[in-house]
Amino acid sequence: MSQRFIEFFKRYDFSFIGSMSAIFLVGILNLYSATHAQAHDGLDDLYKSQLMWFLISVTVAVGISFFNPKTFERFSYAGYALTLFLVFLVMLMGKVGMGAQRWLVIGPIRMQPSEFMKMGLVLAMARFFTKVNPERELGFKELILPGIIVMVPAIMVILQPDLGTGMLLLFIFAMMIFYKRLKWKTIATLGVIGVVSGVLMYNFGLREYQRKRIHTFIDPYEDAKGSGYNAIQSEIAIGSGRLFGKGFKNSSQASLNYLPENHTDFVFAIFNEEHGFFGSVFLIILYLVFFMRLIWLASSVQRFYDSVLVIGIMSIFFWHTFINMSMVSGLLPIVGIPLPLMSYGGSSMLTFGVGVGIATSISNSRNFFN
Amino acid sequence: MFGEEELVKIHKERATLISYIITAAFGLILSRLWYLQVYKGETLHNYSIQNRLRKEVVWAPRGLIYSRDDQLLVDNIPRFDAILTPQFLMDKEETLGKLSRILDIDMDSIKSILKKNSNQATYRPIIIKKNISFEELAQIETQNADLPGVSVDTFISREYRDKEVGAHLLGYISEISQTQLPKLRERDKMDYRLGDFIGQFGIEEQLDKYLRGENGHEFVEVDARGRRKRYINTDNLFKGIEDEKPVLGMNVKLTIDRDMQIAAFDALKDKVGGVIALDIDSGEVLTMVSRPSFDPSQFSRGLTPEYWRSLITNKEHPLRDRNIQEHFSPGSTFKAITGIAAFEEGEIDENTEVFCNGSFRLGRKVYHCWKRAGHGPTNLVKAIRESCNVYFQKAANRMDIDTLAKYAKAFGFGTRTGISLPREVAGLIPTKEWKKKRYGQEWQPGETLSCAIGQSYVLASTIQLASAYAAIANGGKIYRPYVVKDIYDTNGELVKTFTPEVLSKLNMKNPKTLKFVREGLYQVVNNPKGTAWYRRGQGILMAGKTGTSQVRSASADKVYAKCENMDYEYRHHALFVGFAPYDNPKIAAAAIVEHGCHGSSAATPVVEAVISQYMKKYHPDIYLKNLDKDKVLRDNWIRSLKAQAPAPAEELDE
Repeated sequence: MSQRFIEFFKRYDFSFIGSMSAIFLVGILNLYSATHAQAHDGLDDLYKSQLMWFLISVTVAVGISFFNPKTFERFSYAGYALTLFLVFLVMLMGKVGMGAQRWLVIGPIRMQPSEFMKMGLVLAMARFFTKVNPERELGFKELILPGIIVMVPAIMVILQPDLGTGMLLLFIFAMMIFYKRLKWKTIATLGVIGVVSGVLMYNFGLREYQRKRIHTFIDPYEDAKGSGYNAIQSEIAIGSGRLFGKGFKNSSQASLNYLPENHTDFVFAIFNEEHGFFGSVFLIILYLVFFMRLIWLASSVQRFYDSVLVIGIMSIFFWHTFINMSMVSGLLPIVGIPLPLMSYGGSSMLTFGVGVGIATSISNSRNFFN
Repeated sequence: MFGEEELVKIHKERATLISYIITAAFGLILSRLWYLQVYKGETLHNYSIQNRLRKEVVWAPRGLIYSRDDQLLVDNIPRFDAILTPQFLMDKEETLGKLSRILDIDMDSIKSILKKNSNQATYRPIIIKKNISFEELAQIETQNADLPGVSVDTFISREYRDKEVGAHLLGYISEISQTQLPKLRERDKMDYRLGDFIGQFGIEEQLDKYLRGENGHEFVEVDARGRRKRYINTDNLFKGIEDEKPVLGMNVKLTIDRDMQIAAFDALKDKVGGVIALDIDSGEVLTMVSRPSFDPSQFSRGLTPEYWRSLITNKEHPLRDRNIQEHFSPGSTFKAITGIAAFEEGEIDENTEVFCNGSFRLGRKVYHCWKRAGHGPTNLVKAIRESCNVYFQKAANRMDIDTLAKYAKAFGFGTRTGISLPREVAGLIPTKEWKKKRYGQEWQPGETLSCAIGQSYVLASTIQLASAYAAIANGGKIYRPYVVKDIYDTNGELVKTFTPEVLSKLNMKNPKTLKFVREGLYQVVNNPKGTAWYRRGQGILMAGKTGTSQVRSASADKVYAKCENMDYEYRHHALFVGFAPYDNPKIAAAAIVEHGCHGSSAATPVVEAVISQYMKKYHPDIYLKNLDKDKVLRDNWIRSLKAQAPAPAEELDE
């Protein structure tokens, strides 16, 4: 019995849960630092509920890791349909309640279905690409069906309105079709079409007030002047950290409340201010290790479905991380995309847990069933 | 066909590419961080430590509000608060000591203020003393260098020149609260922020989008001692830093006359009620006052909890407007409408005589006249003059309620007048169908009798009464009452002007109808037997009608009980509606005095004061001529009194 138990532990892949825990540890310390001075806004207890969400997510991850990966494949479309239904429900309730609506409230639980939609999309794509011409390189024609699978939820999310998450779905899709060997010619054509039409639309197709409307569309309650200001304060916070940072709990920009969303979208700025360039190098390495391990896993599995699924999961977290870091440091406009495991938020944490659970399950299947 | 493992293998190349892409992406971020933290690090560090760049809102001055005679009613006045930012304090004891001497408050109370706010972030300024004087301001400014952390916060206070006078009309502005924020954003599609000021009542609410203007912003640098200076973007470090000047709010000119407002407010002194006056040829509201009132200036500063509590615990409800937001039984003032209806329907004419013996029996129920002994033989003019219940009940008994309702509705009762002020009430004119719907019961003929004298289900507001009497005076035109004359932009250019709007024109079938009703109304005030003779004032030759609105329906034994002997909350509301001058009408006015008992003694003087002020100011020549006419009237009366045996000078009840 104990022999089997030890054997099980030897074969169980702890790398994903471990990696998740490491980033989370940095994240919760940073969250505590960012919010401890904000008792007047009632934010100083946020880290406790963040910790609770982490424990729930790890439990979910461990639970999922005991599933056979074939189960995921079987329930791929069902998962997609379920999350799509939830997003639709939010849209419906948003209509009733007037105004932007991203939350679904069921009793005491508030959840953000667009968060789970990402996972639903990845599952469906993995299944589709495994079943339909898995060996072919993709051209335009092969993109029509998957295009529909992604556009339906993307448009629904954009209409919520949550342009940030809607774009994210498209980015995740893009990385998955890239992995599924999109023809280089198609990539080039798509790229050119995208860039040219985007630039043309923005510069000639839109009037000034429409451009402004796009800005407010991205975040309805953030006027163009205001968001520029946040970006500036964010850059000041990052820059003032210099090489070594001001030290734990010493962020002046954070406690000065110059950064309005410092516990969600701008945690990375606070981290930079307190831990400087070297701190960021450390944090980015933690993320890189996690992503590289996932990519490695994608190439080491026996089943193609698992491989595509792992790439999908990886791209969810990669895009979150990349977009958030870019916007906070002024490379991209401010859109409300949280930094995985660092930003406060239960739904996004739970998605992470599910992703890690699936990855662990897939990795374990290599060891257990070989 | 490929096997599963081959499939994975042929995609390995792409997986490698993806890992390169990801590495490159993070490389990009790291290089950006290097640029910010190392290359620009020193500069940005200085910004965060020594100079704190802030974007501050520059509030747009709100538009001013003027009266019709160009007197300023609502103004913006700069006020100053002494504030302290704990973050910038150096030698706490020394600074606080100096501050306490300048502001003349002792150290302990300053410390207790600081202590009370000690749980908030140290960069947040704390108000030490509100509304400091110019001397205190000057001292703080000159000793600025010795007072690190102390500064002066300027704000523009919305000041209402006559404070409580017409507060319900002008309204107030106050900060948007947490609960209001989402609703207002949805309603106005505006990007409001917490703490923005917005009109929340009266004109301030209704014309908010004109008065508001558009806030600007400026960037300021705050140095280590808490001093501010304008930020000048010299090193081009930041993009998008540009000051924006505020756009001033538009000025508004009302139809209201300030002197009449004050006269009305004084006339309502120690009373609970309201008065409204309309120009009968345009529907312009000349006066609109309600008491008890409140000081709207207090709202623009953020109410003190004590003041707010005093407003909401006051049993008389100072926040409630008595002219458009309240309705009540119009009582005998409604008899004019009943008279018109019966006359037009041909049920009565000027010669129809009814014998009033003090009561009227219909079925098993007896309806009493207010005068126990009865009025004897009574025609229309006398019935109006002496407010005989029996006459109008008998007249109404020949019609049915729906006919009466048709005329009442034609005079604007039962619907909102459409004045552009928030929360107007509609009043109520019952019909058979209405009762069926509301109570599921058939209409009782006896109810018609009560409605005919303005009791039972009938409800009206003073604005409806004034508007209806204006129509009686002007030959049947119902105007939409309005309070805003013009809106000007800051250059004095006219943006919008409001003109009279005739809502409906009543076509009288019988040309004699209005003539005899007017004659009755004239005699109410100008005939010694009229119910308002003793309170008619001088030189205005007013026509009108008194009224008493029963608060609780009185049982038979209470009908003749003296109103003053009842408990205050059971006393009748007193009403008066009138127009003037009788022969060339210009103005109509209606007043209600809650629990005032008698229309004549409580409400008539209020209307009289408003109309007197109007006549003296706008028609002094007519006023003088009417003074003479008035004198003749009075002399005749005195002569007749001397000729007869002196009658007991009793106060008439209705």
